Amino acid sequence: MTVAVRTVASVAPSRPAVARPQSWIRERGMGATILVAAISAAFGVMLLSAIEYVSAVIRAIPEAEDSNTVRTTLTIVGIVFIAIAMYVGGMVTANTFSTVVAGRVRRIALLRLLGSSARRERTTIARQGLILGAIGAVLGSLGGLLVSVLAFRLASAAWNVDPAWNVLRPDLLAPVLAVIAVTWLAAWTGSRRVIAVTPLQALSQAAEPSRDAVRSRRGRHVAALSLFLVGLGILGLGLLLGLVSPFGLLIAVPGGALSFGGVALGSTLFVPPALRAVGRLFGRSAVARMAAANAVRYSERSSRMVVGVVMGVGLVTLFAVGGQSSVQFLQRVSPDDLPDVVVQAIDIFTAVTMGLVAVSAVIAAVGVVNLLTLGVLQRRREFGLLRALGLSQGQVRGMVLLESVHVVVTAVGLGLLLGTFYGWAGAQALWGWVPLQAHLGGPAIIVPAIPPVTVAIVIAATAVLTVVASVVPTRLATRISPVRALA
Amino acid sequence: MTTPMTDGDYAARAEQLTKTYGDGENAVHALDGVSLAVRRGEFVAIMGPSGSGKSTLMHMMAGLDAPTSGRVWLGSQQITGLSDHELTVLRRRRVGFVFQSFNLVPTLTARENILLPFDLDGRRPSSSEQARIDHLVHALGLVERVHHRPDQLSGGQQQRVAIARALATAPDLVFADEPTGNLDSRSSREVLTLLRTASREFGQSIAMVTHDPVAASRADRVVFVGDGRIVADKPAQTAEQISAFMLRAEGVTA
Repeated sequence: MTVAVRTVASVAPSRPAVARPQSWIRERGMGATILVAAISAAFGVMLLSAIEYVSAVIRAIPEAEDSNTVRTTLTIVGIVFIAIAMYVGGMVTANTFSTVVAGRVRRIALLRLLGSSARRERTTIARQGLILGAIGAVLGSLGGLLVSVLAFRLASAAWNVDPAWNVLRPDLLAPVLAVIAVTWLAAWTGSRRVIAVTPLQALSQAAEPSRDAVRSRRGRHVAALSLFLVGLGILGLGLLLGLVSPFGLLIAVPGGALSFGGVALGSTLFVPPALRAVGRLFGRSAVARMAAANAVRYSERSSRMVVGVVMGVGLVTLFAVGGQSSVQFLQRVSPDDLPDVVVQAIDIFTAVTMGLVAVSAVIAAVGVVNLLTLGVLQRRREFGLLRALGLSQGQVRGMVLLESVHVVVTAVGLGLLLGTFYGWAGAQALWGWVPLQAHLGGPAIIVPAIPPVTVAIVIAATAVLTVVASVVPTRLATRISPVRALA
Repeated sequence: MTTPMTDGDYAARAEQLTKTYGDGENAVHALDGVSLAVRRGEFVAIMGPSGSGKSTLMHMMAGLDAPTSGRVWLGSQQITGLSDHELTVLRRRRVGFVFQSFNLVPTLTARENILLPFDLDGRRPSSSEQARIDHLVHALGLVERVHHRPDQLSGGQQQRVAIARALATAPDLVFADEPTGNLDSRSSREVLTLLRTASREFGQSIAMVTHDPVAASRADRVVFVGDGRIVADKPAQTAEQISAFMLRAEGVTA
């Protein structure tokens, strides 16, 4: 009797969603998925257009011989940057879907109860990813194309050149299709939990687990750790060789990339401990402990969320530290006759690459905002309970802000640390051999230099992200009334 | 109901409460002029079918929701018209809650959950409060469980932790909303015995909303709510008497 009543009550809210199949697109998190797809697609289209434009400009210069080499090099570098942005975007989307699935468990359980298969439910969700990816990719690529055309018109006018470049080229379809595929794949990956939903969950009122069931991910962890250590070994070899030979860089770069890949893959190994360590700094009050515990509660999700920011911030820092260390080293070894143009060239290269990797940081930031918002929505009952037990509105605000600070500070901190290391390693490999070869003494040890401007920007961006990421969740959390949440 | 008593004799009191949702044609009167007083140390069961208004009534008396009209006192303090913050602090210090499910914060251990009202108040329990808590933890058989998280506890254990938390601050009123609704019959009996003991031995005032005639039969007083009004207010009843009354009430309305 009671069970029957409860079932009907729980079905009621989801009834409109079942009746109108398109209403899922208005669910929270879907907008963020479109936004991430749009940013990735726009970035891809703009970068490829820029490469085409620059090649066209070089082609137009009579004395330039080989525009094809430049173009190939730029394209390869561009693809790497686009792939990084898409990887981060994919992680953000996988996170969104895994959170959305967690919120839909009862509805999925009901459909399973009525005879739908787990596979069918999962396919449905993946298809939603496909649709969102397509919408985002089309919007983003059109926007990117528009911006490119306007920007390069302005550039042509400013530099007084008139390169013959094609606006619409078939290769621009590549990033569009890739974004759609990545979003689709991410939705599929993120919806893995659907398999674990049992029809009985539609009826039960079981206590929420305090944390995600720890799945065995041994294979993945071993792979990540091996990748990291092997990469680090190769990087070390590259650095040693770099003390005597310019070829060190050619070994150090793939080594660094491998080890960084290991970091990305093995996020669940090191992010939760890092979050726990930072969480301890918040003190022992109930609000602080709950805020700190929430970040490690769904460790896979928070790891993906954090590692996205780590990659973005890490790469920005890498180029900033690499550039600055190089400039300082060059100024140290040749204080008098270092031409300004060299410093300028390094600065421009650093600024451009930083801008390019900053896109990944922005995408990761979207993921942080989105996940904190969804996290509050998912904990409506918990907030209701806490409000009933005496958590004030001020304490609600403090808790949500602390959660945001916790995640953002941990992620940015790790990013700065890794970025500084890799940036220094790059500069070391690039310049370590120079004094020896130029008979200026022994091999050089580069002192890592951290440009204060970058630090200031990163800190400002961190503060902004922390506040922005807590605005919407705070508004949602303070609106939760204990009576409604517990009903 | 009209026996002259001073404010000090009541744990909680409601006077002419109405609660209306919506307006005009669509207005729904969840409560329609309800007055109820819970005496100090009394264990009251509030019964009634779904939608009768019994939960709404209890929410108002526990400071969780505001009435459309009417007044509520907790102890001798009128709580109608208090700000959200004042009500929050009041709930923290002077009301204990035991819900049907989802009683405990999943990220905190049993002990941390029990101490939560103190923690939210930014203080540690005084030595007498600590003694009370220790006694509760012993009496409720939770000694071995204090460092477990809710998902490592059985339903009955979770409910006992919730009861320990509700009693820890010695509140004016413990508000129990279907506290046995999710439990097997043995755990249900345990939980009811605990509530009854708290009322008898510590003079704890308890208002318990329930569907279950067996649960209600453990109370000192049974109040029946229907269609937003109090339809009957009886001293301790047997489960048979309660069931018979409910069946008659159903028969009348059907």
